[in-house]
Amino acid sequence: MTSPGDAAPVKPPPSFSPGVPRVASKTRYPNQRRDSSPSLDADLAESRVASPTPPLSATTSELPIRSASPRTPSFRSSTPQLARSSLGSPVDGRFEGSEEIRSLIIRSFSPVVGVYASADTDELVRQKGFAGGFWQLIRPFGETIPGKLVIRDSVGASRSWEDYGVRFVDLGNNNQSPPESSGGRSSPLAHVEEVLEKQLGSLDDPLGGSLYPKDFLGFPSTSPLYKLYLRQLLSIASATPHETFRHPVACVIAISSRNTAPLETLRRLYADTNNGDKRVPDWIHPEYLRYYVLVHDEDRDDITESTKLYDQMKRHFGLHCHLLRLRSNQCVVTDDDSVQVPECEWLSPSERLYGRTEPLVDLDTGGLPHVFESDVMAIKAFVRELVAQSVVPYMENRVAVWNDQVASRRRGISGRFMSMSRRWAGFGSGSRSSLTSGGASGNYDTAHGYYKSDAPEAVLRKMADFAFMLRDWKLSASTYELLRSDYANDKAWKYHAGAYEMSAVSMLLSPSSMGTKVKIDAIDQMLETASYSYLTRCSDAPNTLRCLTLAMELLKSRGGSAVESAAKWAMRVMDQGLAGSIGQGLFSERISACYAARNAVPGMKWGSRRRKAGMWSVFAADLWLRLGKPSLASAALEEAERLYADVLQGDGAFSMPEMQTFIDNLRHAVKVEYLEARGLDTRDETATAAALGTEETSEQLDRRKNRKSLVVNPLDSGLSPTQGMRDNDNAADDDFERA
Amino acid sequence: MSYYFTILSPTDVPLFNIAFGTSKSGGDGIARFRFPDTAQYMNQFIIHSSLDMVEEAQWMNGNMYLKHIDTYPPASAYISAFLTPSGARFLLLHQPPHAAGPNANAGGSGGGGGGGIGGGSSILGGSFAAGSSAARASASSIAANPTSPQTEEAVRQFMAEVYENYVKTVMNPFYRQGMEIRSAVFRSRVTAAGRKWL
Repeated sequence: MTSPGDAAPVKPPPSFSPGVPRVASKTRYPNQRRDSSPSLDADLAESRVASPTPPLSATTSELPIRSASPRTPSFRSSTPQLARSSLGSPVDGRFEGSEEIRSLIIRSFSPVVGVYASADTDELVRQKGFAGGFWQLIRPFGETIPGKLVIRDSVGASRSWEDYGVRFVDLGNNNQSPPESSGGRSSPLAHVEEVLEKQLGSLDDPLGGSLYPKDFLGFPSTSPLYKLYLRQLLSIASATPHETFRHPVACVIAISSRNTAPLETLRRLYADTNNGDKRVPDWIHPEYLRYYVLVHDEDRDDITESTKLYDQMKRHFGLHCHLLRLRSNQCVVTDDDSVQVPECEWLSPSERLYGRTEPLVDLDTGGLPHVFESDVMAIKAFVRELVAQSVVPYMENRVAVWNDQVASRRRGISGRFMSMSRRWAGFGSGSRSSLTSGGASGNYDTAHGYYKSDAPEAVLRKMADFAFMLRDWKLSASTYELLRSDYANDKAWKYHAGAYEMSAVSMLLSPSSMGTKVKIDAIDQMLETASYSYLTRCSDAPNTLRCLTLAMELLKSRGGSAVESAAKWAMRVMDQGLAGSIGQGLFSERISACYAARNAVPGMKWGSRRRKAGMWSVFAADLWLRLGKPSLASAALEEAERLYADVLQGDGAFSMPEMQTFIDNLRHAVKVEYLEARGLDTRDETATAAALGTEETSEQLDRRKNRKSLVVNPLDSGLSPTQGMRDNDNAADDDFERA
Repeated sequence: MSYYFTILSPTDVPLFNIAFGTSKSGGDGIARFRFPDTAQYMNQFIIHSSLDMVEEAQWMNGNMYLKHIDTYPPASAYISAFLTPSGARFLLLHQPPHAAGPNANAGGSGGGGGGGIGGGSSILGGSFAAGSSAARASASSIAANPTSPQTEEAVRQFMAEVYENYVKTVMNPFYRQGMEIRSAVFRSRVTAAGRKWL
């Protein structure tokens, strides 16, 4: 792997040596350099939001593509729209739903940016009605960066993404979890389950049909409940040693214009993050980007003062500075230009459970505070600038440097030899301690269960994670592959599982590796190893569940024969009891969706998995009914009927007597419970039948018509020609069987 | 090992059903499925869902005996299929006894579900079964190992014998195509074949 030619030299973390303009790292964005722009007023910020200026390399290639593919603004695609458009994702437009899930998964692995604000800044923001301070104010805006973001991968090709985001975390709370946080084995999962319960409670009104929005074709999209489940599952993770996705990539250090000794405060805050009480633990790489923000109070302070201070900051800290102009007055709904703060998409389960209790009372605002539109504009511009000009270039730079310094040394033949000789002979490495045994490299701290952040294994993992977050899955896959044997030699099982998991996930996400049989088998093998290491060796149920769920979703989005694999992993999840009771229902529906995604061979009637899909839908209905959720059960049953419609004969009845009895009973039970939930008197049989009977019969009529037209061609239905004649007395057969 | 054998007409109507257990290695020939007695519909669901795979496999494979075509991992149920020229399908669901549950389960879902068609997973399944029932004699390995070559062979013999009897039964002048087979002789012959081979 070679790094891009323009990779800047190793960039030291922003230091406090004054007068060191660090422009070298910015050469890629010559047109965007802002340190010389004298005007800092708000309309400039606004114009930046309206038309974010992408780097030149993208503007030329991007425009025609964008005009060629009109997309609805609400639909955020994860398909890269780029110069190499032939490389587009393999699932182009095949299933709309899976594209959405894919985007959800990709967005869940976004870089984490710590926020560390001075007391006066938090005070200012609290005046605006945000109890959580500066972090709470900017958090929702980090989840979507307005406009496109261009990222260059390791071979120098740039792609633009519409759905990039970062996660802001309060630095105070970020690193609190101890290295071995797997104490409560199922507690995060129990939280997830609780959130679902709550969500169901609020949704399960008599008109619960809105749970399953259907699009025009009648194909149900992914249920919002499942999306919530997936989101919750993916946001469980806190910072752990074995993966660096939740380690801060950058840190926003904020002061406000009210501060009397601004530079002193900045210095103190920086020192806090470096070696004070906000210091990161040993297993987090201590060198991350610091970004300095001056929050200017529009309502009370003088802009000229702030500009002067900002210029001073720029002289001290170089480019990674921003002047954020906010109004300190509280905004109320009735104000002219009030805008509701968007809701956070990525709340962790415990936050969702305990964090937002008060909004339930406050019906007026929908629970979300309001801010001035000018504030929203300013924050959006700030976030975009932070990400596009500091965070992403920084990450690209780190990946390039590490790739050069650490990874390429390992990749070559001499690197392999070096690591082998170190392993077997015991020379060539200063860090090796004489106490460690045989195959271990000695970098792994077995007592505490982590690698120090500067060990090559940890750096490589960080590099792979950076590449993953930059969506350069090819590089990340190859790096994870490099790491797997190292971790196995050191018996670092959690790292081992993580490397296998992410290796499989990156291979699945990488658009160039098409889903051939061999690849799928290899991926299955990796998942097997990952789930075994997670569950059996580390008894880490949440991560196992995450791993298998990711695998299922991504395999499903591959389509073709991969969906069988997807269904298999989902069954594994149910088998091992990883999901709770609601999770079981959701996974049954998911298995059904997996099988339903398998299409028939073109022109033939076989090759689909309609019966399996229908069976799992029926099981899901059964599970929902047992959980006392008749509206969900009836939706699942409806789905089952739709899936079975193609394969059942004539009148839509099952030819197997016991199946038919079971489904009849289920249908009846669902009907009764559904009506009871609506408060109808179910003892009155005729009323019951009348309440739901009409829809059913009309659907069946439709289906029969459909079926007749399909039955005409005996070859299509995969039957022998002799059978074609016998279709006439099907009805008689069925009656006979049902009697 | 418990077995559930079904003959399906080309329109998926069941013509004949029988459930029986293994008679090898001291089995008493009584079916003991993993599902509770109230959930015997599960067998039919699994059989019915495996028709998807039968429909696909029958065009990919020139033989009448399609071998092990489908697995239902949650209950570790394995389906073998046999096609007749008239379009009727013989489907045999076999389920290892519960004691070997976890092992057989892991073996089946590890290698069996991916391909579905053919016995590609026999290596993995074999290694697991060897651990679980090492005490048993080699001849009876079909009892705990549904994807081994011995099992495939035994099921093939069973299917062939049932097919012979099926042909004789449907050639009966009082039998119309598509009718349920209610012949007691046929049932006893199937039972005998099951006792002989499975």
